[in-house]
Order: sequence, then structure tokens, then C-alpha cells
Amino acid sequence: METVIKALKEYVVKPVHAAPLAVFRMVFGLLMLASILRFMAKGWVYSMYVKPQVFFSYYGFEWIRPLGEAGMYVLFVLMALSALCIAAGFLYRISAVVFFVLFTYVELIDKTNYLNHYYFISIISFLLIFLPAQRYFSLDALLRPSLKASRIPNYFVLIIKVQVFLVYFFAGLAKLNPDWLLHAQPLRIWLPAHSEMPLIGTLLTKEWVAYAFSWFGCLYDLIIPFLLFMPRFIKPAYVLVIVFHLATSLFFNIGMFPYIMIAFTSIFFSERFHVRLIQKLKALAGRPEAEELPALYVPSQGLKKTLPGLMTLHIVFQLCMPFRFLLYPGNLYWTEQGYRFSWRVMLMEKAGTAFFYVRDKATGKELEVSNSEYLTPMQEKMMSTQPDMMIQYAHFLKARYEQLGLRNTEVVAEAYVTLNGRPSRLMVDKSTDLSALNDNYTPKSWILPFSE
Amino acid sequence: MKKNGILICLLLCVALSLSSCKKKKSASEDEEEAEAAFDKGAMLANYADALIIPNYQAAKSALDSLDAAYTAFAQSKSVADLQAVRQKLQVMYVKFQHISTSEFGQAETELIRANFNTYPADTAQINANIASGAYNLDIAANIDAKGLPALDFLLYGKNTTDAGVAALFAGSPNRLTYVADCLSDMKTKLNAVVASWANGYRTTFVGSQGSQIGSSLGLLINQLNFEVDLLKNAKVGIPLGKKSMGVMYPEKTEAYYANGYSVQLAKECLQNIENVYLGRSRSGNDGKGLDDYLDALKIQHGSETLNNTIKTQFGAAKAKLALVQEPMSASIVNNTAVVDAAYVEMVKLLVLLKTDMPSALGIVITYQDGDGD
Repeated sequence: METVIKALKEYVVKPVHAAPLAVFRMVFGLLMLASILRFMAKGWVYSMYVKPQVFFSYYGFEWIRPLGEAGMYVLFVLMALSALCIAAGFLYRISAVVFFVLFTYVELIDKTNYLNHYYFISIISFLLIFLPAQRYFSLDALLRPSLKASRIPNYFVLIIKVQVFLVYFFAGLAKLNPDWLLHAQPLRIWLPAHSEMPLIGTLLTKEWVAYAFSWFGCLYDLIIPFLLFMPRFIKPAYVLVIVFHLATSLFFNIGMFPYIMIAFTSIFFSERFHVRLIQKLKALAGRPEAEELPALYVPSQGLKKTLPGLMTLHIVFQLCMPFRFLLYPGNLYWTEQGYRFSWRVMLMEKAGTAFFYVRDKATGKELEVSNSEYLTPMQEKMMSTQPDMMIQYAHFLKARYEQLGLRNTEVVAEAYVTLNGRPSRLMVDKSTDLSALNDNYTPKSWILPFSE
Repeated sequence: MKKNGILICLLLCVALSLSSCKKKKSASEDEEEAEAAFDKGAMLANYADALIIPNYQAAKSALDSLDAAYTAFAQSKSVADLQAVRQKLQVMYVKFQHISTSEFGQAETELIRANFNTYPADTAQINANIASGAYNLDIAANIDAKGLPALDFLLYGKNTTDAGVAALFAGSPNRLTYVADCLSDMKTKLNAVVASWANGYRTTFVGSQGSQIGSSLGLLINQLNFEVDLLKNAKVGIPLGKKSMGVMYPEKTEAYYANGYSVQLAKECLQNIENVYLGRSRSGNDGKGLDDYLDALKIQHGSETLNNTIKTQFGAAKAKLALVQEPMSASIVNNTAVVDAAYVEMVKLLVLLKTDMPSALGIVITYQDGDGD
């Protein structure tokens, strides 16, 4: 046992080449730059952060508000610049902090826009703050040669690999559920929707294809992170990564996520691969370099003591988060209590129609709210299936109608929700005044039970 | 995208050949294969050729005859010709219900729904426009001072006789011009839509067979839902006081001044929604529609098929609406419970069409672009 721990310790601190981390830094920065420009070009800054009248903040982060139109655009431009700086390794540490803060700030404005891969980006950019990714092949190292180091302790690279591992593995674990494995849901719904595709269209309508995709997807997520860690399998594993993610980008509307995963997993390639890549880049830039000094970056004594511990803490936290749903009663997919921040991707076809009523407590008379008056289509869609958002919306409505002169009201909802092809049914108890509830981490007893 | 397709195709071919090695196909599997190959292109072609295009053409000829009848009335200003115009207006109102579900392509550009039928009419605005004689019907302020509701108000009037209405026209060239301008505004817009379907939009519509945002199926279902929403809210719910703490607004019903066919319009609207769902033409020819698509995918809804559940709900809504008497404004006040019963069935229909159906088909109907994961 002791020898195992010792070996592990040695493995974690052993010096490795800095090239993989430098390549990762560039890949990350450029991909983020592209994502941000794409986001802006599609007009989403406006539709998601300027236009809405209501913002569904996260519990504990209610103080995070959007900045207004000019502010949001400036913020996105700054974010794009910081991504570019990260890629170039210019003012790296500051850029990494700026990127993390701005990106996470934007994500925290409205949970309507929550995506697992945004959470992933937040985590990676947070980790990057602490990694010496600018010590090799960067502008910073060029300008301040004292920074330069070609070898770094392994844990600086390992932490990224472990994070990628966790994303895949938990995504795979989440697929070990009856809907996914025994009913091939939601792929059984999503694949036939592409029946018009040339060549494979008809095949996509077959039931067995949905099962094959489900089982393959589950096995892929569970096995690929292990294969990536084995140098012998890295090449076939990477081919699988590419095929798998391109397939998902073909069938699902998931934006940059496939490309992010394909790009990020390149960190698993050998040192030699990354060193050669950088040499090629140098040659391309017309500055082929001779033999490098094998300079080792040694973190200061304080960092050396604290960083591995903090990283371990981060991993423990990451290991626990996806299991917090166990603390809640009821079906996770139905209540979504403990659903986010757990790498549950593509697991549900969930849709709903929610009628909200503002009721005068004295007379019992009520009016039905026109949701589209207050919510964007995306917000209405998300709110209609997510109980915590319903509470927030009820609070908004209560305040809104108070302004309009209606005092002493309660807000109730009649939400019909369908999950993975099941008939729609009522999600919340219509006798509950949602505006009187506070959203918090305690179980929501007013969610009607989900039973088969 | 093409490259990905080839890659996946290769993978699937391997999988397919493996599975076909294992067992010989049975007759039932062959049958399944035939069923599974549901032709979305044929369904969209049916929608274009049997429903959308003929309905636009019918609306166009109804509008043209309304215009012709009005021209005659503008000449004679006789009560007989006024009645002829009113009769044509009713036909146009009905034909409008049949095109209201097709608000995509050029119709969306022209905002046909809003420009033709924003009600209740702003009678003060209409009167002010007529008095001044200077107005631009295309500005937002005039959206409820034009279209069918304006004609309804001007051709029927309130608390007046037929002769009284005819006399108002005889005494006011501005009023004569205003109605002519409303008609020509509608004609320009509708003609543009009809022309777009004749000039290539049909090909675009039938060719867009995916399930993503902006695909034809997404547009069709989105507009179908919007129409159920309008039926539930604008035609019934708002006048019934559903959005106003039970305070009723009978004067907010459709074709309020004609005071005789608002229930008919609601029935036509519901019938049209059902026709779109079924892919059935006005003449009753039942082609490939959403019902067939649901059945081809064998979508269940509990122990029943979703298609049957939806069809049953159409039946229930139609049955309750059939009990409501003309005009809607009077029934709302005098037979509230009867109208309310129809409203309840419309809500159930809305949930099925807006939540269960699109979800089962994997169609993105949210009209806002964004990524998922």
C-alpha cells in the first residue's frame, strides 16, 4: 500500500514536458475566441442578455445582474480579447483570471442558458489560472525569458486530464438508467426526427439503431476516459473521440461542444507529439529553434505545498457534486433537484406547457398570465419544465402585478410536462402559492410525484 | 456535414451487416421497414399543394370579390349593395381562418395575421383617420385600425340601421376611401404571399425536411400551436375574462359588429387546425399529415396512440364548441358555462399539440436560436 502511494506521489510530481499544456492553452484560447465570436454573430448577446425582462439567477447568485446592452457587448469583446491573450500566452495570468471571471459571470446571469459545456469551460478556465501554461511557447516567455521552462511537475497537466476524465465518466454513469438503456430514450425520439438525411435517414427510424446508439454512447463515455490515459490506445481512442463527437454534432443542436471535446482531449497525446507540433509551428513562423534547455519550472515552496492539496480538493468536490441528487426524494429527471453541474448530457426529451395564474386571495378570482409578455421563447421553454424556475417566475409575477395594482395575490401554476415520450402530466400542485415559496436547496414537496 | 454523414454511414453499414448476419428477416420486419420510411417530403408537399396553396388562392378570390362588391357599393351607396359587401366580408373572414395557420415565408414577412385581423378594432383611431384623411396604414399605431376588424366596424357600425351605415358612406368621401385603402392594403399583402408560393417558396418549403429551428415542420407546428393559442385566448379566453380576473369583454370578440358569425369563425378556425393536423384539404381529401407521421413513428400516449388521443380531443373541443350559440359576445354573457366548457377542451387540445406532439416528434418549435447539450 505504501509503495502504491509512493508511486502515485512520484507520478504526480514527476517532471513532464511543458509542451502539452502550452498546446492546450492555445487550443483553449482559440476555440473560446471562435465560440465567443460565433455567439455574438448569432445575436445571442442581445437575445439572451439584453432583451429579457426577467433573469433566472442561481440560488446564492441573485446579485449577479446583466450590464445593459452596451455593457454586455463590451464584456463579450473583453472576453474575446482575453481568450486571444490566453492563446498567445500574453499577460497570461491576468488574461486567465479575466476570462474566468467574465465567462462565469455571464453564465450566472440566467440559468435558462445553462449548458454542461459552459460549466466545463468555467472549470477549465478556473484551473488555467493556476497552471504554468505560459512558461513554454508563449509571448510572456519570449518577453520575459526568466519565465521560460520546458518541464513542469506532472500535476499541472494531470489536473486537466482528470477533469476531462470526470466529464466523460460521469456522462457515462448518468446513462446507466432505465430510460436510456432499456427504452433507448430519448434517442428513440431524436434519431427518427432526422429520417430525411441522405443514405442513413431510413436507418435512423429503426428501433434497434436507437438502442445501438444508446448502448454505444454509454460504453463510449465509460471507456474512452480510460483509453485516453493509456498511451498505447491513444490513437484509436482519438479516432473514436472524433467519430463520436462529429456524429453528435450531426444529429443534435449542441453548438461548439463536440469541437471543444475533440480539441481538449488532444492533451492526452504524448509529449513527443506536442513537442513536434510546436516545432512545426516555430518552423512555420520562420523561427526554428535549436535544442532546448531542459529547464524545470519549480513552483515556490508555498505553491508546492498547497497546489496539489487544492487540486485534490477540487477533484473530491467534482466527485461529489454529481451524487448530490441522492439527497433528494423523487425522480431526478422529473424534479431536476441536483440535476445541473453533474455532466448529465442529452438524457432527456422534456417539454412542457405552463399556465400561470395570478389569483386575488380575497375574491378567489384569477387571471391567466400571457407568459410571452414577460419571457423570451427560450425562457418560457426552460421555465415550463424546471420547478426552481417556476418559483422565480412566480415571484416576478407577484411583483409585476403588484405594480399593476393587484395586491394580496397568490400565484399558482398548472404545468403539463412530458418526459422522454411519456404522456404529459401535471408537474406542480395547483393549490400551492408559488410566490410564497423561497427557492432553496431543500426538497420541493410541491412537485407532484412522478410515477410510471 | 457531408463528411460526417459518410463516416457515420460507414459505421452504420458495419453495424447493419453484422445484425443482418445474425438472423433472417421476417415478414413483419419487412412490413416495419416499409412503415418506417415515412416520407416527410411527401407530407410537406401535401401541405403545400392540398392545404396552403389552395387556401391562399381561395382567400385571394374571396378578397377580390369583396373588393369588387365594395367598388359597386362605393358607386351606388345602396343598402342592397352594402348587404352584398357584408356577405362577401363574411366569406373573407372565413377564408382568413384557413390561411391563418400558414404564417411563414412571405406571410411572415407581410405579417398577415396582424395586418388582417388584429382585434378588437380601435374605433377611435379609425374615426380619427377618416376624419383627418391623412394616415399611413403601415405604421404600428394603425395595426388595430385596419384589416377585417376595421371593415367589420365600418360596414356594420354600432347602434345603427343599414340605411344609416349607407348614409354615412354617402356623406363621407373619406370613409369611402378609407375602406378602399384597407382593402388594397390587404390585397397587396395577400397577393405577395400568393406570388411567393407560385415563385419558388413551395420548393423551399417542401425541401426543408429537417427538424431543426426554422425547418418547415418546425414552422408548421409552431404556427399550428400559435393558432390554437389564438383560438383559446383571442376568440374565447380574453372576452370570457380569463386574462382579466373574470371581468368579461364581449366587445373584444371577433367580428363583433357583424354580431352574427363570431362562433362560426371559431368553428372554422378549429376545423382548419384539425385539417392541418390531419393533412386534410378543404374538400375533405385526407393526405399525409402530422397524424400519419405520429402513427408511422408508433407514438403512444399511455395505452392509446397519441394520434387517437389528439383526434379524440379534437372531437371533444368541436362538440363543446358546437353547443355555443351565435354570437359569441352574447353567449359569453348569457351562457358563460357553455363557453367555458369549450374553453377547457381547447386548453387540453393546446397541451397535446404544443407539448406532447412536438416532443414525441423531436421537433424544435421554440422560435429562438440557441445551443443545447
